[in-house]
Amino acid sequence: MPIKLENLSHTYQAGSPFQATAIQDISLEILDGELLALIGHTGSGKSTLAQHLNGLLQPTQGRVLLDGKDINAKDTDKRAVRFQVGLVFQYPEQQLFEETVKKDIAFGPRNMGLSEQEIDSRVREAMDKIGLPYDEISEKSPFELSGGQMRRVALAGVLAMKPRILVLDEPTAGLDPRARDFLLKDVEQLHKGGTTVVMISHSMDDVARLATRIAVLEKGNLDMVGSPQEVFSRVEHLTKMGLDVPQASKLRYLLLQEGLELPDCYLLDDLSASLAKYLKGGAAVVG
Amino acid sequence: MSPHLSLQSVSYCYEEGGPQAVRDFTLDISQGEFVALLGHNGSGKSTVAKLLNGLYTPSAGHVLVSGMDTRDPKHTWEIRKRCGMVFQNPDNQIVATMVREDVAFGLENIGVPTQQMPGLIEQALKSVNMTAFATRAPHLLSGGQKQRVAIAGILAMQPEALVLDEATAMLDPSGREEVFETVQRLNKEQGITVVWITHFMEEAARCGRIAVMYKGELVMDGTPKEVFSQVQRVRDYRLDVPPMTRLAQMLINQGITLPADILTPDEMRREVLRLAHQA
Repeated sequence: MPIKLENLSHTYQAGSPFQATAIQDISLEILDGELLALIGHTGSGKSTLAQHLNGLLQPTQGRVLLDGKDINAKDTDKRAVRFQVGLVFQYPEQQLFEETVKKDIAFGPRNMGLSEQEIDSRVREAMDKIGLPYDEISEKSPFELSGGQMRRVALAGVLAMKPRILVLDEPTAGLDPRARDFLLKDVEQLHKGGTTVVMISHSMDDVARLATRIAVLEKGNLDMVGSPQEVFSRVEHLTKMGLDVPQASKLRYLLLQEGLELPDCYLLDDLSASLAKYLKGGAAVVG
Repeated sequence: MSPHLSLQSVSYCYEEGGPQAVRDFTLDISQGEFVALLGHNGSGKSTVAKLLNGLYTPSAGHVLVSGMDTRDPKHTWEIRKRCGMVFQNPDNQIVATMVREDVAFGLENIGVPTQQMPGLIEQALKSVNMTAFATRAPHLLSGGQKQRVAIAGILAMQPEALVLDEATAMLDPSGREEVFETVQRLNKEQGITVVWITHFMEEAARCGRIAVMYKGELVMDGTPKEVFSQVQRVRDYRLDVPPMTRLAQMLINQGITLPADILTPDEMRREVLRLAHQA
């Protein structure tokens, strides 16, 4: 496993009157090649957890292991950890600063001390990976681009460091439906290409579409970890926590309350197939 | 009765001779309507919002608020008082260190006598269910609570219309619900006209009317059912339809007879049960 969290706790401003424990005794493994979604109410500790994955925050208690090695140990090369674990913050386009798209994306690789040739090839590759046309926009100011494109430039800046693990904090927040769809497709492609992805999201329909596993945080504690099927089948539990469920899970649950049991599903495509089958079969409602 | 908010062949350019962010836009909104304004990023929604209370004045055409032309400088303050705006980022809208003082900010600006303030503030906080937080520090509130304080700051000025520009974009689902319900209630109980700008199609589905913008122009205007049942057209404008409308479309494509304008899981549940009983 690439990342293992052992009994991780984090308290902000410990020892002051403003002391607040954001996450508490969390043990979780992030598996090679998975797309793990982190879900939870605002203030549940998702972003705090995410910022431990590359050592940006240091645990108050517990350890973060990358390939079995404590990333906060004295002899660990922190820079190397950050190149391996790429963190994309919320609204990352607010961090764009360079004169051109190309320079902005090159910032990370340049920090790594790579040759100009290597930097250039990485910029091209990163842009290509997320469908940004190099010839058209690489010399433009990032601030001339649309919101969706700016977000992707920021993402490309992290990809250019070729991280093995990509951590995305609400990557689609504030985007219009089309831009959101593009970005999710990018994430899907990266995951298929072998990148391990940890994604924080409030959109359960996005999570349903992409995640291979889901971890649910509640008030700083790990509430459950499981497949989308396992997590989203617990509609009442999630609703009680103030979380949404995918619309397909919601409809299936409503029908179940009426005595109509369809196969467990959380994706619209699957629900559409089983509903069509049921309605065409003309079977009477159960119960 | 003349419309409450009226945009008449409005165009707007940010720079003289530059591209038109809004082009030949005509829309009348009656008192008490709840209108969702949808459109892709950069379609001109926020520009329209700012035209509605005179923050921008049109390059061509006219914007009227209760019959007052926003181009006429002598109406500017009256228009801003009557048509309040809430923006996306709650943190950018907070100016005071106490909720009550934050709500008072607008009142001070329009010169309301000090002795009248407490009553107006109390009423405004009550309208958004934030009375219990009157003496709290706004920066320690949740996102949804902060937006409700921002709304209270406007309500204290007793506006007739609220324009909310992606007021829920930065909130989590429960915060979004909190803010949407608050505004819905103000619309129903106090008859306040609402223009609700959003990227969340589920929210738009709950408004009374939807106006869709594409590249600066008004391209669709109708009830949620009228707009969202045109799945392909909505997608061509870089938007989406609510998931249940998509599901209805999928089932129709598989030969199931269903209305194309289903919007919510509840409606879909009813339709499925109806079909099941028919069979």
